Amino acid sequence: MKEFIITGKMKMADVINTDKRALVLLPRFGIELGFGDKSVEDICLAQKIHLDFFLLMVNVFLNKNYFPDKKLKDVDVDMLLLYLENSHSYYLEEKIPYLEGLIEAFKKKVEHPAILQLEKFFNQYVYEVKDHLAYEDETAFPYVATLSAHIKSNTLDFSEFDYHIGVFEQRHDNIEEKLSDLKNLLIKYFPPSNDRYLRMRILNELIDFEEDLINHARIEDKVLIPIVEQLEKHIKN
Amino acid sequence: MAKSIIIAESSEIIRKGLFFLIESFDLFDSIKEVACAKALDDAMERYQQPDVLLVNPALISREKLENLRENSAGSLRMAAIIYSLYDEELLVLFDEVISVGDKRRKIEKKIYALLDQTPERKENKPEETLSAREMDVLKLLVKGLSNKEISDKLFISPHTVISHRKKITQKLNIKSVAGLTVYAIINEIITLDDVQ
Repeated sequence: MKEFIITGKMKMADVINTDKRALVLLPRFGIELGFGDKSVEDICLAQKIHLDFFLLMVNVFLNKNYFPDKKLKDVDVDMLLLYLENSHSYYLEEKIPYLEGLIEAFKKKVEHPAILQLEKFFNQYVYEVKDHLAYEDETAFPYVATLSAHIKSNTLDFSEFDYHIGVFEQRHDNIEEKLSDLKNLLIKYFPPSNDRYLRMRILNELIDFEEDLINHARIEDKVLIPIVEQLEKHIKN
Repeated sequence: MAKSIIIAESSEIIRKGLFFLIESFDLFDSIKEVACAKALDDAMERYQQPDVLLVNPALISREKLENLRENSAGSLRMAAIIYSLYDEELLVLFDEVISVGDKRRKIEKKIYALLDQTPERKENKPEETLSAREMDVLKLLVKGLSNKEISDKLFISPHTVISHRKKITQKLNIKSVAGLTVYAIINEIITLDDVQ
């Protein structure tokens, strides 16, 4: 698909119709469907979302070649964190439980003994994703929030931190590998069984989840980390 | 190994043309272009010495050429870019001569030869079934043995174990041990009891 850059004048409905991946972003900004012909700008205004911030996030999420560089310094860090936390909630409260339900149903239909191992593998994967998200929610994001609050109030002693965003980058490891394995097992290796549509649905969900996670990771790499690095530099000087 | 090349050529059309051709060979991690003698000097000074230098003989003196050759102790490969006839005596100083009339395949061959390599024909598809040895490694791997334990058991070096593992992953398109375990059970290479 040709990549396109979303602007404030576009109708929100057109944005979704042109690239359905934008759909998952709406709840992360608290935007409800049913917005008629309103433009992106109008909706942001009504929801008190910074238009530039919304456009930045949407465009980074949808285009892997979009470089935000100079717009970064205007980003409201609290808004960014809220967005990231909302994304995590979506994974934890919506996406993962749904996938778990599908795997559970699949297990009931399939008689091959390997299903037990597949389920175990899936559970291991889910555990790792949750662990990763929990680390970000409990350690990395609170750190960024404190950093930003201190800068705003101009009261910071850097020595009170024994953490820096470099640690986040290192820990920002790939949880993508297992997901890709899971997909390949279902596409190539798991023997045929009487579950035709269920298996397809699981695959569709996995592919969808994979793409969402990759786009999400891009926001962390291209927006969050550079911003925090700037904050850290600001403090050290 | 990361390979680098510098293309020194004043004609933009030819320089860019070579750039895109060479980029498509997928041989170099770094391709730099320079358009004049001065920029070439700068580039050679500023960056680490490239593996290959493609240069229009008009941009480099005989002295400079000999200097570069000497300083690199032979590790720098140089090719002349020529449009027309050139003095043979000058051309012998280069490892290779690329003429603007050369076809893509020929240029590819010459560049590979400069790196002492031959182009692989991409038609060779990778084999997808595991060899007997890879199967042995897979069996032990999914039973939870470490590389070291596998190497002791099969009387092969740990290095060989790693290279078998790479091959297994490539062939099956499954990277994690947990994923390989599922594969092994599906294909009855091991049983559920083996992994309890």
